[in-house]
Amino acid sequence: MQSATPFLSLILFIPTVAALLLLFVPSNERGVIKWGAFIASLLPLALTILMWMQFSPNAVTGRFQFEEIAYWYPAIGASYHLGIDGISLTMIFLTTLLVPLGILASFSLTERVKGFMILFLLLETGMLGVFMALDLMLFFVFWEAGLVPMYFLISQWGGKNRNYASLKFILYTMGGSLGLLLAIQMIGVTTKSYDYLQWLGNWRTLDAVARPLFGLPVSTVKSIAFWAFVVAFAVKVPIWPFHTWLPDAHTEAPTAGSMILAGVMLKLGAYGFLRLVLPLFPVQSKEYAPALAVLATLAIILGALGAFGQDDFKRLVAYSSINHMGFVVLGIAAAAAAAGTDNALLAMNGAVLQMFNHGLYAAGMFFLVGVIYDRAHTRDLNAFGGLWRLLPIYGTVLMFMSMASLGLPGLNGFVSEFLVVRGAWPVFIAATTISMIGVFFTGAYTLKALWKVLQGPLNVHWVGHLTEMTTRELVVVAPLMALILVIGIWPAWILDVINKTVMTLF
Amino acid sequence: MDILVWFIPLPPLLAFFAIVLYSNPRKALSHSIAIGGALLSWLMGMIVFIAAITRPDLRAHPIGSVINWLPVANGWFQIGVRIDPLSAVVLFFVVWTVLGIFLYSVGYQNFGQPAGEHDHPGLPPEGAAIRVRKGLTHHVMSIEPLYSRFFALISLFAFAMLLLVVSDNLLTLYIGWEIMGFCSYALIGFWYGKKSARDAAIKAFLTTRVGDMFLFIGLIALYVQTGSLSYAGSLESSAALAKLAAPAGFLGLTWAGLIGILIFIGVVGKSAQFPLHVWLPDAMEGPTPVSAMIHAATMVSAGVYLAIRIFPLVTLGWQQGAPITAAMTVMAAIGTFTALFAASIAVTQNDIKRVLAYSTISQLGFMIAALGVGAYVAAVFHLMTHAFFKGLLFLGSGSVIHGMEHGAMHAQGDQPAEGHPTGEHVDPQDMFNMGGLKDRMPITFWTFLAGGMALSGLPLVTAGFWSKDEILAGAFNGNHLLIFIVLAISALLTAFYTMRQITLTFLGQPRTEAARHAQENTRTMTIPLIVLAVFAVAAGWVGIPRSFPGLGAISSNPLESFVGTMIPAWLEGHADVAGSSIPLLTSLLVSLLGLYVGYMVYRKVDAGAEDPLRRPLGAWYAWAQNRYGIDALYHTLFVRPAVWLSEVFTYQILDKKIIDGILEGIARGTLGLGSLMRRFIDVALVNRAGDLTGSGVRGLGGEMRKAQTGKVQQYMLLAVLLTVLVGAVLFFILVRA
Amino acid sequence: MIPLSWYLIFAALLFCVGLFGVMARRNAVAVLMSIELMLNAVNVNLLAFWRYLYPDVQAQIFVVIVLAAAAAEAVIGLALIISVYRRRKTVFADDLTLLKG
Repeated sequence: MQSATPFLSLILFIPTVAALLLLFVPSNERGVIKWGAFIASLLPLALTILMWMQFSPNAVTGRFQFEEIAYWYPAIGASYHLGIDGISLTMIFLTTLLVPLGILASFSLTERVKGFMILFLLLETGMLGVFMALDLMLFFVFWEAGLVPMYFLISQWGGKNRNYASLKFILYTMGGSLGLLLAIQMIGVTTKSYDYLQWLGNWRTLDAVARPLFGLPVSTVKSIAFWAFVVAFAVKVPIWPFHTWLPDAHTEAPTAGSMILAGVMLKLGAYGFLRLVLPLFPVQSKEYAPALAVLATLAIILGALGAFGQDDFKRLVAYSSINHMGFVVLGIAAAAAAAGTDNALLAMNGAVLQMFNHGLYAAGMFFLVGVIYDRAHTRDLNAFGGLWRLLPIYGTVLMFMSMASLGLPGLNGFVSEFLVVRGAWPVFIAATTISMIGVFFTGAYTLKALWKVLQGPLNVHWVGHLTEMTTRELVVVAPLMALILVIGIWPAWILDVINKTVMTLF
Repeated sequence: MDILVWFIPLPPLLAFFAIVLYSNPRKALSHSIAIGGALLSWLMGMIVFIAAITRPDLRAHPIGSVINWLPVANGWFQIGVRIDPLSAVVLFFVVWTVLGIFLYSVGYQNFGQPAGEHDHPGLPPEGAAIRVRKGLTHHVMSIEPLYSRFFALISLFAFAMLLLVVSDNLLTLYIGWEIMGFCSYALIGFWYGKKSARDAAIKAFLTTRVGDMFLFIGLIALYVQTGSLSYAGSLESSAALAKLAAPAGFLGLTWAGLIGILIFIGVVGKSAQFPLHVWLPDAMEGPTPVSAMIHAATMVSAGVYLAIRIFPLVTLGWQQGAPITAAMTVMAAIGTFTALFAASIAVTQNDIKRVLAYSTISQLGFMIAALGVGAYVAAVFHLMTHAFFKGLLFLGSGSVIHGMEHGAMHAQGDQPAEGHPTGEHVDPQDMFNMGGLKDRMPITFWTFLAGGMALSGLPLVTAGFWSKDEILAGAFNGNHLLIFIVLAISALLTAFYTMRQITLTFLGQPRTEAARHAQENTRTMTIPLIVLAVFAVAAGWVGIPRSFPGLGAISSNPLESFVGTMIPAWLEGHADVAGSSIPLLTSLLVSLLGLYVGYMVYRKVDAGAEDPLRRPLGAWYAWAQNRYGIDALYHTLFVRPAVWLSEVFTYQILDKKIIDGILEGIARGTLGLGSLMRRFIDVALVNRAGDLTGSGVRGLGGEMRKAQTGKVQQYMLLAVLLTVLVGAVLFFILVRA
Repeated sequence: MIPLSWYLIFAALLFCVGLFGVMARRNAVAVLMSIELMLNAVNVNLLAFWRYLYPDVQAQIFVVIVLAAAAAEAVIGLALIISVYRRRKTVFADDLTLLKG
């Protein structure tokens, strides 16, 4: 379906154009830069909402909508090919929503604002490109394009240990993406195309048609590609035991960086699983799904335990991301193992919704950690105590956000966890049941943060030093809270879009 | 009518949002909104209730409707509301107690009193000083600083409970269940600045969460097995039950048994049964209306309500008179043990609220045990009567505490304006500090007495007698002699500690100044007491068995014929067994005996005296008073290992040492390899080759430079020579060759 | 009639004299004069070719152009030499080694 308005290209490149325009603004015009970046990032959000309204979830023919194709690199068969389905749409919405909020959250930044905003906008393009690309070369280009701004955001605006963290982040993910590039190239050369739809179309017949590559039979190429994809995406998600870059990177990143990192970047990995691994490698996926489920269970349990063991507020929230993304992986594993059944559909619905939900509350939690850090200049949980008395609004917002991340029914996290567990339980009874231990500790670490920060005897050191959340900060969390509540109470509007896409996928 | 059911839970929810977002700074408006919401719910609840009891065959045609909620695969997950006989009864007592508690809270939180100058949000109000004469102040109670927040939270609490009651499926029930868990967390820890309150809140949340995890898995398993979570689709349809009768391949249980036990563990957490009972006594840290909410109207009742709901699961395959199923055995064992266990602790507690807390645990054990022996109606009956009299008792104890606090302040008399209040600090919750309150607080006394008598099962008049009698009869008629005896002993202890409480609190002489100056509370607090007292007595009359000598003749036992329709089809057909009179006589005897002994032991306790039971019971008394050391045991057994596992094992060892160690090892290896390559390849070979090229060119240039003298004539000469040379070469090559 | 080759030989000799002067004389003025000699040697050649091979008027144009060029060259050359002399107080070619590398 060719759309009249090139929505995708507009959404994709408005941030880039804005970043380029910002280059010409003098660096001391901070107000102009901040507001310019903010307004520029609102445009993609508005366009995404418009696009959502025009999106038809029921479209059966042409699974991808708003497609755009242009010449890009015909010599190797790569083209500029964009298109979305329900899964990408939700992810794009998440991205375009979180970026303006991240920018708004960074208004408190005082040094090198220009560079920060430019990088941030470029980051948005990189992430959006991954969700939109239907050409694997393009996919890879955007995949990498997202890494670089994030690296600089961490290494330039990060905390004390930022050099270690940023280096670990970039090396780890780059290491993963090497395999990704290799795999894409191998398949690209074998099929003489980088177009995703063509890959899907002639994937099964490939073994018979394509000639061997460097003397390797096509089936071997496929297996190599499978493992390369899995490792690349596993690092990004991150799946236990590839997760240790995450606490460091999240902890050291600036607030907005953490919001985006947890909110969107982790989803890139899961998205890769959904877009590339499961549709292209159903057999291998099914074969290795139990192992993936075990790793997911470990991520859920050890992520929760790791979070419970922290004294650093931000690191605690960072570990919670591992725990929550474990559910996404569990859902993916169940969907892979039980492809074709209702269980798979439910697990997949849950996984995608969990990606979206986690984006909301993880970003919210990181933001709230940033709010308290801006004021107290410490993240040590033991240094707080009883702050609810000083910061009643902040305390209530934090309570709300924590409960969402804890999976309190009535808020969004519960719906997706329910679906994932419902889908995964019949497939992996033991793994899913054991992962409930992790769910218990989710409660434990969430409460630990609350009790250390908000409750208990007041640490009088802070009297007079902490100020209540500003209106700007409330504006940042308000949309997140509203969406969390709306999805918790009435998830059908978003789940319907996901569900119909998932049904065409599997 | 079907639509109206949907609206029952909504007013408190809207009240919650209205207070949080709008009326938070305005205290009067906040409580008006909250009480207005509760009143609306009450009104709608009563309309629905009346419609329910007048509708013929409500069981087959419950009130309710469904809507599509969650798209799942090819269909929708539907949620809906349903009022059947069971939920009608529960709805009835929930709306009444909720309304009473809301109203009571206005007075309890000292509405209309000045704000205390030393009060802070998150701490209980300490009282305010008002100037009476020049230079002299008088201490009075001060208003709760977070007054509006309190009403917001109990509104949310009420919403969750009502949602749970009107649900027609286990998922929305679970949603209400968990929201209630959050509310109890927030309300137990309402005075979050108090360390003990904070710890109690966390304990409550996490302990119940243990149960909730099992419950969650149970729901998932049920959903997977039957493809539905609605009561009708999963618990009552014969197709679903046929699927559930299949063996689960786990400990020889059927699916129904396994799921029943899983869900029951959730109940154990929520209804504070052994071994997950530890949170409930600590939950007394919350303000007393919250305790009443938790113990009567909402939390624990919700647990038993769920246990009653899953009755078809646990009894699947059981016939009247046959040996009970595995799941039922579990329930009967846990319920019976808890009943005795908690009652024995209650005997040794001095805190007026803690006695009631353990009493709640014990009474819930009765209900669970009743379900375990298949006495469905008895469980429902006791759930209802217990909600009324326990709500009443908690509100009454709150009234006592409030009066004591008032008395303690009043006892100080007028003080100089400067400085903090002086004088003795009495614990207003310790019953040994009370005594003789009968005359100071008559309404509280008489209503508390009604509640206490109901709890101990004073024969014939009180509700508690009828419902407890039914449970004992159920256990006896089912030939569960052990259960019967244990429950009877528990009932004896119940009567004993109740009388102990009443005697210590209200009878005898005041043992402290505070008790001497205690004062009856405002009307907003006493009216709910009176209303609940009426129910505590009269609620039992709806369930007088027809076989009861004398009174049975005029009783139509409406409860039995109403709720009894909910009993699964395979258990129907047994009438009210006209059993022996042994259970009846037993309940008569234990109740009267307990009351008598309780009064005799405690009627003369002087100020400062220790518990007369302490010496005769010796070490056992201390052990029981210390809750049999279970809290400490859990701490060593679960809490410390969990902390070690997370802080040391997962984070320090696994992540930091092993995984990061491997990563950093790889990084270090790569770095080492790199520096080796640099030293032996780059520096030794590549760099040297580059350097050689550079220095060679440079040297050559230096040599050639000498040719450039700057003398134009030499260049010219060179040019001519070269021209001649080239010319000669060309000549010889081109022309001659 | 004198054959063409005589003229050519004469011109070659004259050119060689000029060349020798350019390379061997140390005085810049002399070098300039030697260049004039070389130019005129070329002129002799041109005139000889005109007379013997292409006897029409256009061929003479070359000679005129060469003469004009020689005149211009002499003017600029002398001006440069005088300028050099003013600065350096010498017109010896060997002393002028600014181009030395």
